[in-house]
Amino acid sequence: MKVCDLSEAVASVPAGSHVALSGFAITRCAMAFAREAIRQGLRGLTISQCVGAMDGDLLVGAGVADHLIYGGGSLDRFGRLACINRRIEDGTLKVEEYSSLSMVFRYLAGSLGLPFIPIRSLRGSDILKRLAQTAPGDHANVVDPFTGEECLVLRPLVPDVAVVQVQVADADGNARVYGPRWDNAEQVRAAKRAIVITERVVPGDVIRQQPEQTVIPGFRVSHVVQLPFGAHPTSVYRAYDYDAEEIRRYAEAAKTPDGLQAYLDEFVYGMRDHWEYLAHIGGAERLNRLAADPILGY
Amino acid sequence: MADGVAYSLSELMAVAGARELKDGQVVAVGLGLPVVAAFLAKRTHAPHMTILFELGVVDPEPIAPGVGLADPRVWYRATMLSSFADMLGTVLHRGLVDVGFLGGLEVDAYGNVNTTLLGDPQGTFRHFVGSGGANDIASLARETIIIIRHEARKLKETIAHITSPGYLSGGDSRRKAGLSGGPRRVITDKAIFGFDPESGRMRLESIHPGTTLDDVLSNLGFQPLVPSDLRITEPPTAEQVRLIRQEIDPEGIYTG
Repeated sequence: MKVCDLSEAVASVPAGSHVALSGFAITRCAMAFAREAIRQGLRGLTISQCVGAMDGDLLVGAGVADHLIYGGGSLDRFGRLACINRRIEDGTLKVEEYSSLSMVFRYLAGSLGLPFIPIRSLRGSDILKRLAQTAPGDHANVVDPFTGEECLVLRPLVPDVAVVQVQVADADGNARVYGPRWDNAEQVRAAKRAIVITERVVPGDVIRQQPEQTVIPGFRVSHVVQLPFGAHPTSVYRAYDYDAEEIRRYAEAAKTPDGLQAYLDEFVYGMRDHWEYLAHIGGAERLNRLAADPILGY
Repeated sequence: MADGVAYSLSELMAVAGARELKDGQVVAVGLGLPVVAAFLAKRTHAPHMTILFELGVVDPEPIAPGVGLADPRVWYRATMLSSFADMLGTVLHRGLVDVGFLGGLEVDAYGNVNTTLLGDPQGTFRHFVGSGGANDIASLARETIIIIRHEARKLKETIAHITSPGYLSGGDSRRKAGLSGGPRRVITDKAIFGFDPESGRMRLESIHPGTTLDDVLSNLGFQPLVPSDLRITEPPTAEQVRLIRQEIDPEGIYTG
């Protein structure tokens, strides 16, 4: 039985694991997962995502993760990834910084079981120079056997688990992702297993009626958690909009360690679980205001 | 001002960006002024242009401005929603992006762009956004257009970190690094620059109406090439200003 509650899914992730997160800036972030991981005192995670997002920033800020492999990122117009930036600046975060494409190529290579993957970007940049210091074993130059030209290759990325926030899944973990999928399909396929956190669990017949909509196949999924508003305060396309006020609150708080601690005390440690969190931020009345228009998707 | 139209410098920059785009091209944009430039081109002289956002959005027709690429408002009425591997892989890496737009913290005389950090990379520094798809676009698009504020602390001889390669150290250093393409224009709020094909250094193309050559050069951290036939940037037309204000950016978020 894959369907379980959030605490059980989080407890399945051992300390020191490499976790790929589904968030992109302020959309479809695994926020409830991050809050529960912090409450459970999970430690030593490596986190990866093509574009850094609010889920990653919270986990890095709370000290759950101390190793980040990403392609840069922000909270869009709400601000910088303050916790990630601060820990890069003070040297307490081990960071390997790529670009969006090089990250997705590393996941893609992992998903295909390739030994390495050639890439045409990164060359000539200081991104590559810094990677030669921070992750010297993860790229190399090889000679293209067909043209004789030198080419840059990257090591595949194989996360221990991908944590993916989706709109719809069945009890076996067959999941749909509405809207753009950024790196999520490659993350899941590269990872050894996936935890699916879904707005709604639907009967398997719903999936079987339109199987072309399935983005994540159930046989790659170990846990399915039904958790409405699990990405709050970030958005889930066709389900709910981002909560500008709550993201602004976080962006402001995260600017200082004290501000972050106060935020964590109130919104994470002070909450027994996801339901208490939703009630605390305004309950049904507030969440109803965020509900997406079915035509617009936001 | 030309045909009596009042415009902001941001509107002028967006129009200058739009003018660089041709019908039928595939254009990769981030958010901000490049989006205004791309939508303006599409609604005027380039109706068959294809606009891409790196996370997997093709040809959206938003009716509300967004806070960034992660805002579903800017995905509205797209013709396809897919993925990084699709947009940055099968389109950009395959060599099918004609023009990419870049912005940044700093740009040097060779069009290298920094979006990663300010300060000393080996010592004390502040970390910012990093690359996202910017390095990939700068490396792989057929040409790039850089849009940046005209300040000496942003337009510098040497930058703290090359996130996105321009002509690197000039000459054939970009080609030697295995990269083709390169920056074509730098659009600021005072001037438009091109690049000298031999040295790869920035070359002044035109200065905006109402500014002076002295103003342009005294707010630069390096000496660009200055041609003898320096032109004045063509101002926006009344129709371009109307489209920006009434349809593309009615709340003035990017051009106000």
